[in-house]
Amino acid sequence: MFFIEFSRVVKFALQSILRNFWLSLVTVSIITLALFSVSFLFIFNLMSAHTLAVVEGKTNVYIDLTASATPEQAQLLVAELQKLPAIKEAEFITPEKTLEDFKARHQDNKLILQSLASLEQNPFRGSLRINVYNISDFPVILSELSKKDYGQYLEIEDQEFTDAKLLIQGIGDYSQKIQRGGLIISLFFIIISLLVVFNTIQVGIYTHREEIGIMKLVGASNSFVRSPFLIEGIVYSILAVAILMAVLYPLLAFIQPYIDGFFKEYSTSLITLLNQNFFRVFGIQFLIAVVITVLSGFFAVRRYIKV
Amino acid sequence: MIKFTNVSKYYKPNVVALKTVNLDIASGEFVSIVGQSGTGKTTLIRLMIAEEKPSEGQIIIGGWDITDIKEREVPYLRRQIGVVFQDYKLLQKKNVFENIAFALQTCAVPLANIRRIVPQVIKIVGLEGKEERYPFQLSGGEQQRVVIARSLVHKPKLLVADEPTGNLDSINTREIIDLLKKINELGTTVILVTHDRDVVNSLKKRVITIDEGQIIGDQSKGRYVL
Ligand SMILES: Nc1ncnc2c1ncn2[C@@H]1O[C@H](COP(=O)(O)OP(=O)(O)OP(=O)(O)O)[C@@H](O)[C@H]1O
Ligand SMILES: [Mg+2]
Repeated sequence: MFFIEFSRVVKFALQSILRNFWLSLVTVSIITLALFSVSFLFIFNLMSAHTLAVVEGKTNVYIDLTASATPEQAQLLVAELQKLPAIKEAEFITPEKTLEDFKARHQDNKLILQSLASLEQNPFRGSLRINVYNISDFPVILSELSKKDYGQYLEIEDQEFTDAKLLIQGIGDYSQKIQRGGLIISLFFIIISLLVVFNTIQVGIYTHREEIGIMKLVGASNSFVRSPFLIEGIVYSILAVAILMAVLYPLLAFIQPYIDGFFKEYSTSLITLLNQNFFRVFGIQFLIAVVITVLSGFFAVRRYIKV
Repeated sequence: MIKFTNVSKYYKPNVVALKTVNLDIASGEFVSIVGQSGTGKTTLIRLMIAEEKPSEGQIIIGGWDITDIKEREVPYLRRQIGVVFQDYKLLQKKNVFENIAFALQTCAVPLANIRRIVPQVIKIVGLEGKEERYPFQLSGGEQQRVVIARSLVHKPKLLVADEPTGNLDSINTREIIDLLKKINELGTTVILVTHDRDVVNSLKKRVITIDEGQIIGDQSKGRYVL
């Protein structure tokens, strides 16, 4: 009984899609367009979340030690810092290491290397490299450090941490603005597609009004009358998501070089990013499409069902 | 079979389509309903198949009180009533067999049963050999017979026909009325709404006359009196 009804409903739905081929095409295109704008919002979100994570992970703060601090004291300090839960890493950078790093960084600059060689002793002092889980924890940690006994060994300047924080805030603000813009554009497209799809489905249903009238007259249940149009909507949604995938992947591959050029070392493969979030992204897209089509179908058919 | 108790039907602003109608039709009867245009005959039919609900009163069909029938119960009522209207309401893109089968397809009847029932009703209405024809290849009378065949697929105990011969010439009218008589003789209660004086007079069956929404005549071997 159920199987008979189901297979017939599916058959009616497919017949209806094919019979109104051009209308179906318009419907699917519009849904695909709406999903396309949503996809970009998604990918942008993933990309900005990725960038933020990378930036935050790469943000180290160096705190210089004062001249009076001995390496032993510095090691003690590092051990203390490592105990703090907010701190991911703490490391003592010896003056020698700082000198080596400095030389390595300027190995092409003869002048600097010469003037360093002419010095009798290492001009650098030791420093502490601190990496935290959350950039916003920095101020607390810094004020903590300056209060305690070790304040005298550290030359705490807010500057460096402030720069890092501003960068991250900047990225956050930007991405929020763009996200909001993207959300508005996506909503706009979703509403447009809702209106267009509602109308195309209604036109489609209009071509079936006689059949619906007869169905009602001979005692078909409302759910039987309605189901083909809902299934039609689901078929449209599947098609739209399939087309979206077919277009999105090549497009991402195409824009990848530009993304790399813009984000430089913070860049990542968009396709990998999308694949990692495959079910979330396309699942939500499919849901959006189903809501658009099924809602449209439901309300469009309601007019003809009331007999 | 059909019982109307003090039924009134008002359409919105202030149209009185039916006014305190009392009606009792027994199982197996053949009843003609006559009356001038706009007097409420179609309204009476629409109340019987729950296309409309009464504003007042009570309607019982086959022991079932449909006065406040729920929307999801309507399909079960419709499957027990065959309905035939003046405009044929056939699907132009389906042939005779498919048009009749459609009524069964939409009600979850298995294919094997469809293959058995459709030829039966085609035989009853006398359209054997024309199963493959499309509506445009049929005369008006033949099209109306397809509609009647379709209305019979659920083996209804009640058949309501609202001016089924309204668009037909006298020969086709004769044939359709004979068919309805035959269906009535097979045990189905038939309600026939008609304007056709000759039809009513030749039937010699019960005639209910309606005027301005009220029953003004009910004779068991009636004639068309207006
Ligand atoms: N949906 C409606 N809304 C408002 N008024 C209606 C509606 N349907 C019918 N009427 C009115 O109710 C009255 C009865 O209509 P009905 O269709 O029952 O008449 P009828 O006897 O079938 O007429 P005819 O012989 O021309 O078919 C008429 O005055 C008509 O205008
Ligand atoms: Mg009428």
